[in-house]
Amino acid sequence: MSTGLLSGDARVEAAPRFPRKRKGISGRSIAILVFLSICAAFFCVPLYVIVTTSFKTMEQIREGAIFSLPSPITFEAWVNAWDHACSGIRCEGLKVGFWNSVAILFPSLMLSLTLSSITGYALALWKVRWAGTFLFILFICAFVPFQIIMIPLIILSSGLKVYGTIWGIAIIHAVLSMPFLTLVFRNYYKGIPQEIMSAAMMDSGSFWRVFGEIIVPMSGNIFIVVLILQVTSIWNDFLLGLTFGGLGTQPMSVVLANVVITTTGEAAYNENMAAALLTAIPPLVIYFILGKFFVQGITAGAIKG
Amino acid sequence: MAFRWSRMSPQLALTPAVAITVVAFIGSILWTIYVSFTSSKAFATYGIDFTDWARQYERLFKDKGWTIALKNMLVLGIGSFLAIVFGFILAALIDREKRGEGFFRTVFLYPLAVSLIVTGVAWRWMFNPSFGLQGALHSIGLTFISFDWLSKPETAMYGIILASVWQGAGFYMALMLSGLKSINTEIWSAARLDGVSFWRLYAEIIIPMMKFTFLTCAILLSLGVVKAYDIVVAMTNGGPGQATWVPGYFTINAYWVKSNLAYASAAAALMLGITALIFLPLVLLTAWRERARTS
Amino acid sequence: MPRVIFEDIIKSYGKLTVLKNLDLAIDDGEFLVLLGPSGCGKTTLLNLLAGLLDVTAGRITIGDRDVTDLDPKDRGLAMVFQSYALYPTKTVRGNLKFGLAAHKLPTAEIEQRIAWAARLLQIEPLLDRKPAQLSGGQRQRVAIGRALVKKVGVFLFDEPLSNLDAKLRTEMRLEIKKLHDELKSTIVYVTHDQIEAMTMATRIAVMDAGVIQQFGTPDEIYGRPANLFVAGFIGSPAMNLRPATLSVAGGKVAARAAGVDLDVSHYGFLTAPRDGQSVVIGLRPEHFGEPDAAVTDPAGNFSLPVQHSEKTGSDATAYLKFGDGLIATRVDPELIGRFKQGDTVNISFPQGKLHVFDAQSGRRL
Repeated sequence: MSTGLLSGDARVEAAPRFPRKRKGISGRSIAILVFLSICAAFFCVPLYVIVTTSFKTMEQIREGAIFSLPSPITFEAWVNAWDHACSGIRCEGLKVGFWNSVAILFPSLMLSLTLSSITGYALALWKVRWAGTFLFILFICAFVPFQIIMIPLIILSSGLKVYGTIWGIAIIHAVLSMPFLTLVFRNYYKGIPQEIMSAAMMDSGSFWRVFGEIIVPMSGNIFIVVLILQVTSIWNDFLLGLTFGGLGTQPMSVVLANVVITTTGEAAYNENMAAALLTAIPPLVIYFILGKFFVQGITAGAIKG
Repeated sequence: MAFRWSRMSPQLALTPAVAITVVAFIGSILWTIYVSFTSSKAFATYGIDFTDWARQYERLFKDKGWTIALKNMLVLGIGSFLAIVFGFILAALIDREKRGEGFFRTVFLYPLAVSLIVTGVAWRWMFNPSFGLQGALHSIGLTFISFDWLSKPETAMYGIILASVWQGAGFYMALMLSGLKSINTEIWSAARLDGVSFWRLYAEIIIPMMKFTFLTCAILLSLGVVKAYDIVVAMTNGGPGQATWVPGYFTINAYWVKSNLAYASAAAALMLGITALIFLPLVLLTAWRERARTS
Repeated sequence: MPRVIFEDIIKSYGKLTVLKNLDLAIDDGEFLVLLGPSGCGKTTLLNLLAGLLDVTAGRITIGDRDVTDLDPKDRGLAMVFQSYALYPTKTVRGNLKFGLAAHKLPTAEIEQRIAWAARLLQIEPLLDRKPAQLSGGQRQRVAIGRALVKKVGVFLFDEPLSNLDAKLRTEMRLEIKKLHDELKSTIVYVTHDQIEAMTMATRIAVMDAGVIQQFGTPDEIYGRPANLFVAGFIGSPAMNLRPATLSVAGGKVAARAAGVDLDVSHYGFLTAPRDGQSVVIGLRPEHFGEPDAAVTDPAGNFSLPVQHSEKTGSDATAYLKFGDGLIATRVDPELIGRFKQGDTVNISFPQGKLHVFDAQSGRRL
């Protein structure tokens, strides 16, 4: 059966990507899938617990069966969390935090995307003699712990009368994310062919026109990636909101922490869980719809090194 | 060379970024380091007593809270390495068994999309001694398992580690997965043809090929551990007592609760020092990769 | 149409000098080809002219304007790139328009120019497509169109045909030549392909190692290579270059190579030959006579064993053992049968086609 042997060899040569027989499922595959499923269950447990708890009544929670399904299902906790939950002495619910977060998000996104895309473009595609040094400094700044610059920034923003305002938090977000986002944009723009840039120099030579007409239209994907990265990181931020938010301008995560941590008397666990879910829903929705870009964003930073 | 306006545009466009870097980063860092040598309390004072310039640092190392914070940072760092190991195992298995790749990746990565505060709140609830997991386990007769880690000083850090691993494993999985995917598919075929066993293939070929990825993961994880703050606030708020203090928590506490500017600055400066220690290998790694790429 | 003049151009990157004191004057309406192997500095020279790079020292003038310190867009040039460099997000029309809008031309003028270029290059039906929807040849036309609409005096081409397949390349070669004849503009064209250079150029500057080795018409470059580099670089198969020693005796000059004496008495020496001078003689494969047939005014007759032969359809080349090397001769494919391996053939070489170079300096004698 020399022909059989030959054709067998040829098959392996021609299709090295699929050496596995596709018929049936091997024992090892089953073992792997079972293990992965158990891990997946571990990852889903907290989500399951929060969701079920948020629909339970406090009576049912006191029974202690954390895995039981809610019966009766009640939306009271959600309504309370949104409308009445107490953060400190104010009992206006998470809605205040939600709208604050939204109000912080938009100006901050505008600022940080504009600032870091232009900076990245200038560093990647224009001749700037000190670009290398500056990139190195930005690289270091991207990893500096916030605490080392926190106090002077508080003093500075108080001096500029933006401390404790929505705009103050938005600006601080844009400022602190600038080094990292600039590096992301710069790495992307470095991939634009040199000849396109040369052609643009011959045709126009204007920094802004080339950016607006040639480069921005070519950077759709990276804008989405950075946008998602920024939306989730601004929405999920706690420390900046805590240190720069004033009374009434705190973002949602800070309000959530206050609701959960500073409760007096018996905690309303169902309300806490509903509050946590309310905070988690916006980024989760983005994640499940635009997961591909989200993954690109979080790995872009790590791999750029 | 003649002056050209076109040469100035990029420089002008870079001024905001340069200004931010100089003021908000370099200037602020220098300011904080300077202030850490003063005796500022609630407000900054700029006189340095040169006979006793290191007073804040001396105080810091005598402070039980700081010692606990450093120790906890180490514990958290060592414990969180589980996230890398776990992430690699998940990535390797997903990469090996292509079925369900999209599903598993989505599930393992979703915690990363959520705020650490939410993660902390969720786990805090699961660790609830009466109504949490412990209650559920005890009610089915498994009374020997205790799952009230957060309420005991000895185990509270492990609770935080568990939540961190849950949150972070997906991130390392994603990094590892992209590392594994960049390995030439012919290597798998070659190993199959040579009859190399599964374990030897990973131990001797795949893991050494991914040394850059592992190093990157390790450094990113360490930097994250130094910065850890949100998760601690949400889960234990530093308690019980000072059992779960970490440097980030200590610094914020020194500023906001103790209102001691110089003391907080000294702690922040030490955090920066630790970051620099971790960061140095990253810089070297970058240089090394650059060399490996060009040679 | 402007003259382009390079004066004493130096371009260096740190310690590495890419161009050394280069002078070059390009006439009005000339089709100048910068020809050379990769890394010879030809693209650098083109980029210096375009303003995409800055000179380290020297002066560039276009017409009577010193453009050394001008921005690329102010130099009155248009350029066609190797990768075409079309803006991927703009339509063909948008690509043509982008460079014009920067010069603040009236809309009617812009439309008119686009229509003119599109008609000339037969890309009218493509105007509303994106570059990704075009074939390689169509992209090439659009790239040329983008240069044409600027109606400048000097066009720069950077290896524009190297990404095309052989058939399209021939087609586009003719087309570019035709455009030059119609527009009478000055063209500076960079390539490493000698066929392109020979077919299109009015003059060729052969470059190597940052120096212009020879500057002349295609006929001059081919017929009277100035040095060994040009001799070896131009021609395919390459010229046979053999070391030889001159002997001058009684009005007769002979070059002795591998035991064969070649009569070079009628060779147009630029400097008087010396007895015993070490030289290199050059024999183009295509100038050998037919086997066993005499040529007029032969420099010498060779009786050489055949090493091997190869046919390439319209052509055939036989490799003959000569001393310790091989020499290539071009043969009529009909006669290739006479060149059997191991056979010895008699061929002769006409004196008028011979090239003699100084062995030390490499210069033509």
